[in-house]
Amino acid sequence: MMSFNNVSDPRRQNKILRYKAPSTETNPTLEDPTPDYMNLLGMIFSMCGLMLKWCAWIAVYCSFISFANSRSSEDTKQMMSSFMLSISAVVMSYLQNPQPMSPPW
Amino acid sequence: MRSVHLLVPALLLLLAFPVSRGRYNDDFDDGEDIADFDDNDFAEFEDMNDDQEEEDEDEATVELEDGLDGFEDSEAQDQDMYSKYDQEEFEGIGDMEKGHSMKDPLIIHTVPAHLQNSWESYYMEILMVTGLLAYIMNYLIGKNKNSRLAQAWFNSHKELLESNFALVGDDGTSKEAVSTGKLNQENEHIYNLWCSGRVCCEGMLIQLKFLKRQDLLNVLARMMRPIGDQVQIKVTLNEDDMDTFVFAVGTKKVMAKLQKEMQDLSEFCGDKPKSGAKFGLPDSLSILSEMGEVTDGVMDNKMVHYITNNAEKIESIHFSDQFSGPKVMQEEGQPLKLPETKRTLLFTFNVPGMGNTSPKDMESLLPLMNMVIYSIDKVKKLRLNREGKMKADRNRARVEENFLKQTHAQRQEAAQTRREEKKRAEKERIMSEEDPERQRRLEEAAQRREQKKIEKKQMKMKQIKVKAM
Repeated sequence: MMSFNNVSDPRRQNKILRYKAPSTETNPTLEDPTPDYMNLLGMIFSMCGLMLKWCAWIAVYCSFISFANSRSSEDTKQMMSSFMLSISAVVMSYLQNPQPMSPPW
Repeated sequence: MRSVHLLVPALLLLLAFPVSRGRYNDDFDDGEDIADFDDNDFAEFEDMNDDQEEEDEDEATVELEDGLDGFEDSEAQDQDMYSKYDQEEFEGIGDMEKGHSMKDPLIIHTVPAHLQNSWESYYMEILMVTGLLAYIMNYLIGKNKNSRLAQAWFNSHKELLESNFALVGDDGTSKEAVSTGKLNQENEHIYNLWCSGRVCCEGMLIQLKFLKRQDLLNVLARMMRPIGDQVQIKVTLNEDDMDTFVFAVGTKKVMAKLQKEMQDLSEFCGDKPKSGAKFGLPDSLSILSEMGEVTDGVMDNKMVHYITNNAEKIESIHFSDQFSGPKVMQEEGQPLKLPETKRTLLFTFNVPGMGNTSPKDMESLLPLMNMVIYSIDKVKKLRLNREGKMKADRNRARVEENFLKQTHAQRQEAAQTRREEKKRAEKERIMSEEDPERQRRLEEAAQRREQKKIEKKQMKMKQIKVKAM
C-alpha cells in the first residue's frame, strides 16, 4: 500500500536506514589517539610519582587531559581509575616527604 | 697530744661546713653554721632582714643616683661574701667561664621549610593547583560553548532537514526507527546527526567537528596556529541514484592534498587540478575530474552560483562512485584486497570565524545545506552519454586489473616463500635423521616429488602452446 505524498515531498518512510557507527578498523586514521596516550602517560607518571613529586603532578594533568578528550562511549571506570591513581600518587609522595616541591631552575 | 689531734679535724670540719653551705645558699653567707641557729624558725632570717634593711637603705640612697650603683653594691657584697672563704677554692672558675664562651659559639640553624608555618614555601604546589583549576574552568567554558554552537546549528537547520528526511536523528541503539530530533554527541567537540528516508539517497551523516575548546592545551596550541570549526556532510547513495563518475572541487591546497591521499581521486583523476576560473568559479578553487563531460554536467549555473556565493566556506566537495576513503597502508605479507567502494557525496565546509565562532556563524551555513540537497537531486539526474560511460567503464576495468596484477605478484611471492620454507624444513628433517637407511629413502622420495612437479609444469606449458596455436 503506497501513500501518495505530495509530489514535492521527497521524504520516503520506506527508505529509512538505521544509523551504523563507522567502523574504526577500516579507518584507523579517523580515530583520535589522544585520550589513550594520555591515559597511558598518566599511569607511567603515577608510578614515577612515588619517587619524584613533579611526576605525580604531571600524572594528574595527564588524567585531566585524557578525560577532556575522551569519547562519550568510553568507559568512565577507566577514566576514574586513572584519575584516582594519579591523585593517590600525589598524596603518597607528600606523605612520604612533606617538603615543598623545589623548582627545577 | 691526743686532744690536739682531735681538735684539728674538728676545726677542719667546722671550716668545711660554712664553705659548702656558702656555695649553695647565699642566705646564710654571714658565716654562721646551721647548728648555731635557734629552734626559733625565723632566727635564721633575722640577720637576712637586717641585711635587707641595710640593702634597702643602700638602695634608697642609690635610687636618687645612677641605677647601676645598686648592682655595684651587690657585686661588692658578693665579693665580700666570697672573701670570707678560702680564695684557693675559687681558682680557675673565671677561666672555666671564659673557656665555655670561646669553645661553643651559638649557631642559629634555619628552620627546615616543611616545619615553617608558612604557605609561601609551597608556592609550586599552589601554582599546580591553580593550573588545574584553570584547566577545569576552561573545560566547562569550552564544553558549554561547543554545545551552544551545535544547538544553534541544529535549530537553524532543523526545519530544512525535517522537510527532506523522514528520519532526522538516530543513534542506532533504539529498537524502532524513530527520529530522536536531536544531535548525537560523540564527545565534547564532535556532534553527529544521521538523516534518512529520502528519495535519491540512502542516508546523510552530518558531523559537526568543532575545535577542542574544552582542552586547554589545544586552546594554547591554537594560539600559535589558528584553525576553524568544520562541518562534514557524507551522503551515501544507491546504484540507481548515481552514475559512474569521480569529481571534486575545492581550495587549491586541499585538492592537491586529496589527490595524493584519497584512493579514488589518485586512481581516476590523475591530471593536475584545473583552475576553477575556467568554469566560472573563483580562482581560489580548483577542480579534479575524471573527464570533461562530468565537470560540465556537475557545474551547471545553479551549482556555480551556490559555490561562488559561499566560496570562503567551502573546503571541498567530492562526488564519487568509487569512494573508499583515504589510501590504507597495507601491511607487508598481506595480499592486497580490493577496497570496498560506496557511491558517496562528501562535503566539507569551514565555519566562518576561524575559531572565534558565534551562533550566528553556524546559522550562516544554511545556504550550504540547500546546496547539498540540490546536489543530491542533481546527481540522480546526471547521466553520462554513451562515450562517457564507455570511458568510465574502461577506467574502472583498468584499475581493477592493476589491483589484480599487484595482488597476483604478491600472491606469487608469498607462494614462492612458502615453497622455499617447505623445502628447507624437509632438508633439515633429512639431515637430522640419524639412521642412514632412512635418510637415503627420504632423499629419494623428495627427488621423486621434484621430478613429478617438473613434469607437470612441462605438460602445462605444452597445453598452453597448443591452445595458443
